[in-house]
Amino acid sequence: MTDHGTGADTPAARARKQAAAQGRAQGLETGWTVFSYLLAGMAAYGGIGWLIGRAVHVPLLFPVGMLVGLGISIGYIIHRFGRQQAMTRPRKGDNR
Amino acid sequence: MTGVLASGGCHIFSGCGFPAPGLQDFNWKPFFTIGSFAFTKPMLLAILAALVVIVFFWAAFRTPKLVPRGMQNLGEIAILAVRDQILRPSLGRRGDSYLPFLVSLFFFIYIMNVMELIPVFQFPVTSRIGFVWPLVFIVYFLYLYLGVKHQGAWGYLKNMIPPGVPWPIYIILVPVELLRFFVFQPFTLGVRLFGNMFAGHLLLTIFTIASWYLLTLSIGLLYAVGSFALAIFVFLLETLVTLLQAFIFTTLTATYIASSVEPAH
Repeated sequence: MTDHGTGADTPAARARKQAAAQGRAQGLETGWTVFSYLLAGMAAYGGIGWLIGRAVHVPLLFPVGMLVGLGISIGYIIHRFGRQQAMTRPRKGDNR
Repeated sequence: MTGVLASGGCHIFSGCGFPAPGLQDFNWKPFFTIGSFAFTKPMLLAILAALVVIVFFWAAFRTPKLVPRGMQNLGEIAILAVRDQILRPSLGRRGDSYLPFLVSLFFFIYIMNVMELIPVFQFPVTSRIGFVWPLVFIVYFLYLYLGVKHQGAWGYLKNMIPPGVPWPIYIILVPVELLRFFVFQPFTLGVRLFGNMFAGHLLLTIFTIASWYLLTLSIGLLYAVGSFALAIFVFLLETLVTLLQAFIFTTLTATYIASSVEPAH
């Protein structure tokens, strides 16, 4: 199969398009992974809180667990994706 | 659509309340039933969508020429678009073996979505979640299988959390990661497609019915024009959304396959 009809005229234009497509795919993945982490953190620790709360008859542990889970998720998201962003971003004062 | 039909003589100031669309507009009377199985319009549209994809690519590539002409040109543009915009950015050249799967998936979802905008059909198949889950399960089991095949069962589970995390945090993250991976990742993949198509169809129905409902020789006429303009706007928006949702579903499928074939960095 040939590459005609894609509008990629020069190698530079093709590379630019590829980089843009790669950025789109990465952005989509990161965005939805972050969203899944937020839900999963609340569900996981909310569930654990609910189970413990049922055992010790303290219903408050369910919302507390959810908040703890949300905190864990946010912390992990910052650790994982915040650092990734910082690594790809140029340093302050770097005008290259 | 029963609501739309029922609202035939129902206008504002005629003592008739607004026949608001709702879940009833997503339920169809079956064309026929075989025992407890009822064959409905969304099923027919799903079969039609599959046929469109099969017939289009069969017609395009039944006698492929080195210098493409006619249908083959269109077919190649379609395949190259999926390859360059969806597959290669996530999987690179090594992922070309997944191209037939991703092309089929993309166009099947797109045709099912775009049924919303085609007169007579006017219903997005993917706004019924029962049509979305099988697609999600296919993708889910594919990337699970590929992950276990390429990284081994234990390695696959271990690699869910990227290296460099201290072990106490590792333990804290395990429930979150397991739930995210096995429940929320497939859940969001399916619900996003369903939710967008459901909401789009509902918006279109609301503004179309409202245009008809407000259409009287009164101030209602002004509102009817406004509502009709919004119906046109939502229609145009949906032409984009139908494509975008198919694109997002397929792109995420490609990234999930990529993370199964090689662990996250």
